[in-house]
Amino acid sequence: MDHRLTSDHARPIPTNRASRRTVLAGAAASAGVLALGACSSGSKGSDSGSSEDAVPRFDEKKTTTITFMHAMSAGDQKEALERIVADFGKKHPNVTVELQDQPDYGTLQTKTKAQVGAGSAPTIAQAYGNWASEYADSQVIVPLDAYARTNTDMADFAEGVKKDIQLSDGKVWMWPFNKSVVVVYRNAEMVKEEPATWEDFAKIAKDVSKDGVVALSIDPGSAKGPAGGTALFEILAEAMGGPVFAEDGTPQFDEEGGVKALEYLVDLKKAGALAIASGYPGQEALGAQKGAFDVSSVASFPFNEEAVGGAFEMGVSALPEGTSGAANQLAGTNIVLFADASDQEKAAAWEFMQFITTPEQQASWAASTGYLPVSASSLEQEVLKKVVDERPWVADAVEQIDTARGLPPVTSVTEASGLLSVALQNALQGKAEPKDALADAQKKAAALR
Amino acid sequence: MSTSEATVAPVRAPARSETARPPRGRRVRRALSSPIAYLFVAPALLIFLIWTIVPTLYTFRVSTFDWNQLNPALSEFIGLGNYSDMVSGATNPSFWQTFGVSCYFVIANVVVGTVLALVLALLVRRTSRIMVAARTSFFLAYIAPGVATALIWLWIFNPRFGLANRILSLLHLPVIDWLGDSRYAMLSIIIYSVWHEVGFLVLVFLGGLMTTSGELSEAAKVDGAGAWQEFIRVTLPQLIPYVAFVVIISSISSLQAFTQFFVLTGGGPGYATSTLGFQLYQQAFVLGNTGYGAALAVVLFLITLVLSVLQLRISARLAR
Repeated sequence: MDHRLTSDHARPIPTNRASRRTVLAGAAASAGVLALGACSSGSKGSDSGSSEDAVPRFDEKKTTTITFMHAMSAGDQKEALERIVADFGKKHPNVTVELQDQPDYGTLQTKTKAQVGAGSAPTIAQAYGNWASEYADSQVIVPLDAYARTNTDMADFAEGVKKDIQLSDGKVWMWPFNKSVVVVYRNAEMVKEEPATWEDFAKIAKDVSKDGVVALSIDPGSAKGPAGGTALFEILAEAMGGPVFAEDGTPQFDEEGGVKALEYLVDLKKAGALAIASGYPGQEALGAQKGAFDVSSVASFPFNEEAVGGAFEMGVSALPEGTSGAANQLAGTNIVLFADASDQEKAAAWEFMQFITTPEQQASWAASTGYLPVSASSLEQEVLKKVVDERPWVADAVEQIDTARGLPPVTSVTEASGLLSVALQNALQGKAEPKDALADAQKKAAALR
Repeated sequence: MSTSEATVAPVRAPARSETARPPRGRRVRRALSSPIAYLFVAPALLIFLIWTIVPTLYTFRVSTFDWNQLNPALSEFIGLGNYSDMVSGATNPSFWQTFGVSCYFVIANVVVGTVLALVLALLVRRTSRIMVAARTSFFLAYIAPGVATALIWLWIFNPRFGLANRILSLLHLPVIDWLGDSRYAMLSIIIYSVWHEVGFLVLVFLGGLMTTSGELSEAAKVDGAGAWQEFIRVTLPQLIPYVAFVVIISSISSLQAFTQFFVLTGGGPGYATSTLGFQLYQQAFVLGNTGYGAALAVVLFLITLVLSVLQLRISARLAR
């Protein structure tokens, strides 16, 4: 080694210096090129999605692969989605749908954004309205107005669904997929009658919270991602005075509805009838017979049934009413189509999206997963008729799609909802009075707009 | 230079044979002037360039923009705007709150981890079967994947069904909402972090203890020193380079910690466990404030740089 170094050192010095400079300059140039490449790799021209009014023609004979990034990656949901893909494959043998599983919605959102930013967007992905708003603002998804006009099933969609697939500009940007509303699951042996009002609910919850039982457990989530507890608070606010977001996404956290709802939850917590934990605490406590209720999505039904394991009768009922009447939240995601896809991929993806919302597929999907069908005619399918016969509350839940309110499809709602979760945590921990916690969140959320 | 001094430094230059080799400066000049040498290191340099240097430079650039993560073409240059927001505390949570939470975690984690690792290393330094099993068990926790172990601890800390509260109940102590109460959330994270990391630190100290001089300890005992005096006056001074190494390496890894915050608390309750590293992710990848997230990354980079330089200087000084 030393010998070789000595030999190299014997070369004329200027040449060596030049070599060194050349190497360093080359490295610097490479770094610059790579940096520029990195900068531009995720760039999209401002005209991305400019072909928005044209629906690409689908060439059935052309071999095409589309990717679908989703979070239906567990249990019955995974099997049901794979069945849809298999059925679609039988109908369109030249189209391959690659499923890109994500473990949960939070990961789905960050992975979708990372892939889009890196210039390798999936063809389609599940998305909430506020995510879709951000995608549309950044011109990375395709408006689906023109596409929707070519679809014959849309006329039969529930009115709530038709509204839910639009952004605040009134255009269709999403296509429906897995819709749900919130219901009350209860240990029917512990609580015989379903509570009719939230006042009844509180009274029953306090009565049954003894001997290691805490009636209700919720997870408010965090600033990282609001969870079911925050959704319950949002529903309570609407039932007790008014929603926490106006139609245009303006936060109104510290108005009558929000304050009353948070005081209601704090009161339950102080009475030992409400516990806070992360994950799916309501489901776990209900299954362990240490909780009387679980207030969560209709899609929790198979999971709750599994948690209960036949140990007792599980009752399911609509949400109680508040002083301002009934309120519910339309949850679940829609599907967005990314602008980076080629015309043939867009056309194939659109075929797949339409296939998902045919009455037959919707009925099969709803029967397997507990999600609600998006069209009334799905209820006439035999497979779903059987489900409704066994669980009459499903028909009530389907009706609620039209009255339930989704979170406004506005970008700032994502961060504002996180602030709301923080306010809930602070009030439920006793660190702040409900009114003060909400006023602080309101001030910060208002500054986001 | 005594025998003991020659063996204590964890990073030490090989023994010099001054007469056989040219001076260091000459050797460095010779290496730098050789194109062949550059060819040999080129593959490693290229990998380093692509995966470290370029992303770092890119992050500096992103931090000067109101960056659109989804469509960089729509990004807007704002100069030092993100840094100005940082200093003025305009974000939720403010930079200073995040910085304070980070300092709390780093100091507690490093102090508790270092002391505990030293104690455990002293306890398991003998080579009996039980001691070897104990060392293996410490290290198993370290090599187990962070996400998997954090998920297990999520259950241990479950306020209603978790093992931690079960133990408190058995001891007739009041139960704690470990992760949901801002008074205990960071404590819970520190317990998990120390449990996960201590195996590596024990290994470093065991390595150090193997190099300490048995003769000096024997001499101290002959002179009448008790076990505590022998440790404080003889063993610990020889371990100082290892302590310095552990403190700095732990500080850097604590600053960059992310998994436990992501899995156990999500930065909450409130912002009680929102560290710089966690907020960097939250701002850049969840909330879409990518430019601000990049500015946080730059600050984290600078702090890590200072600590790394400090570590190199201390190692060099102790090796002299």
